[in-house]
Amino acid sequence: MIRAQGLTKTFAGKTAVNGIDFTVEPGRVTGFLGPNGAGKSTTMRMILGLDAPTSGTVSVRGHRYAASPAPLREIGALLEAHAIHPGRSARDHLRWMAASNGIPTTRVGEVLELVGLDSVAGQRAGRFSLGMGQRLGIAAALIGDPPVVVLDEPVNGLDPEGIRWVRSLARQLADEGRTVFVSSHLMSEMALMADHLIVIGRGMILADSSLQTFMAEHAASYVRVKAPRSTAVEAVLVDQHLEVKRHGDELRVQGLDAASIGDLLGAKGLVLHELTLVRSSLEDAFMTLTADSVEYHAKAADEIKAGARR
Amino acid sequence: MTTTTLEPKLVQTSPVERATFTYVVRAEWIKLWTVRSTWWTVAALVVLGAGLTTLVCWGNADWLANDPEADSPGSFITWGMMIAQVCAIVMGVLTVTSEYGSGMIRTTFAAVPSRGRVFAAKAVVVASVLFVVGTLTALLGYVGGNFFLNRAGIGMSLEGDVLRAMYGSGLFLAGLAIFSMTVGFLVRHTAAAVSIVLALVFVIGNMVILIPGDFGVWLARLMPGNAGGSIAAPVPFNPDLLDAWAGLGIFVAETAALVMLALYLLRKRDA
Ligand SMILES: Nc1ncnc2c1ncn2[C@@H]1O[C@H](COP(=O)(O)OP(=O)(O)OP(=O)(O)O)[C@@H](O)[C@H]1O
Ligand SMILES: [Mg+2]
Repeated sequence: MIRAQGLTKTFAGKTAVNGIDFTVEPGRVTGFLGPNGAGKSTTMRMILGLDAPTSGTVSVRGHRYAASPAPLREIGALLEAHAIHPGRSARDHLRWMAASNGIPTTRVGEVLELVGLDSVAGQRAGRFSLGMGQRLGIAAALIGDPPVVVLDEPVNGLDPEGIRWVRSLARQLADEGRTVFVSSHLMSEMALMADHLIVIGRGMILADSSLQTFMAEHAASYVRVKAPRSTAVEAVLVDQHLEVKRHGDELRVQGLDAASIGDLLGAKGLVLHELTLVRSSLEDAFMTLTADSVEYHAKAADEIKAGARR
Repeated sequence: MTTTTLEPKLVQTSPVERATFTYVVRAEWIKLWTVRSTWWTVAALVVLGAGLTTLVCWGNADWLANDPEADSPGSFITWGMMIAQVCAIVMGVLTVTSEYGSGMIRTTFAAVPSRGRVFAAKAVVVASVLFVVGTLTALLGYVGGNFFLNRAGIGMSLEGDVLRAMYGSGLFLAGLAIFSMTVGFLVRHTAAAVSIVLALVFVIGNMVILIPGDFGVWLARLMPGNAGGSIAAPVPFNPDLLDAWAGLGIFVAETAALVMLALYLLRKRDA
């Protein structure tokens, strides 16, 4: 379990994380979602005790990270910047990590196999592709078989097969009862991976809820109905106390599934030209939710350009 | 790429065994010997240290034997170690800055959150390696150089100040590596750290000798490279320098002060 209370980080007057409170529970995958520069990596570095909070606290399993007797056995992390020496082989990288926390060397082979790098374990990490580097980072995160796993943008640079693999790995880790905290700036990815979502924008928590609740609240769905006699159709639906909105020649209906709407109208002998379930995408919901912070960044880029012209 | 899945495991909830300082030293030892730069710098250290000593003894043996104005042969028998210092500096700096350069320092501090422990483990590893390599290299240089000095009839036996200069070379290089490592932690950048230490030891250390008067003499004596270097030669070229053990004491004190500053900042700054 990870718990942050009033967690704040200010870099030279710029607030990257602004007094956030959240709890990451074990046994489920918690997605940490936010646009670029939202403060995800900074938060994760504070969890690991790498950056000191300006104020507030964050604890892992009830204590400060630094207080852990053997941190790799308690929390494994994949950090944003690869954090691996390019001249050292994958196996040697894992070997020193294992040695530092008294983890048996046999575990090195296990995690190499787990991430599918056993055949290239002797190669220097600098030669690895982005995806292989990412796999090595995940192997490093799992070296101590930790009950808490923190992954910063784990699918970055992975091919579709790799992405699917990370997804099922995260699922499995959570099913084993571990606390899994995964950051991403892609809503679509989180929708497939996470059980619970913490959305961050401009250093502040914008949403903290289960994926279902988030979808229900932010990604409304409706049934699109097109019919030649649309006024009659509308009358029938309104009669059934359904919510109907007219958009040009289409009707948007909420409150009943498409099949039932079809049956209902069919029973009245009304002809349909279209009957479709439309889900406003989670990506749209995310964009709306974080519009402020994204806007802020667009502005910042303009300012930089203006500064360059000056 | 093929992947396998995790064996389902029960998540451990019991308190884990405390990682000891020995584990951290072992980790730093593995780190040191699993990058090529270490092997290169050690090889360069041996070749330069022993090779150059042999070379200058060969070149100067006759002059040293026949010219009454000549320096003492005791200034030549560890001559190569002066140049080999560069390798100790590079090695000390790299153990730290290669981690900052690649971002690996974050993995290191995630694995070992006590930054003082990481510092100490690195110091133990790099200093013991350089003590051993430095002493052996000085001995190898002695064997080579003394062969030519012997031939000219001015050979030295391995005792007294000569013997002291052997392990003294090891001690000085070990200290210099810790000094360099510390500068590495302070500036976190390879080229910057190497330049600072080289400038301090080789350039500034020799320039202050030119400052006239007592002030110049004392400044020269107290410069870290000059103070620490005395112990590495049976007879120093510069007679004004502090004697071997006093010089080493000053160098250790200076290094300790720098270490304190680095540790303070290391704990304060973000990784
Ligand atoms: N060491 C630092 N010094 C100064 N500013 C920093 C530092 N680290 C992060 N920041 C700033 O803090 C803000 C949050 O950055 P952070 O890297 O945490 O965002 P993120 O959510 O991880 O973004 P991304 O999706 O791009 O990885 C950014 O505006 C960034 O510029
Ligand atoms: Mg990030």
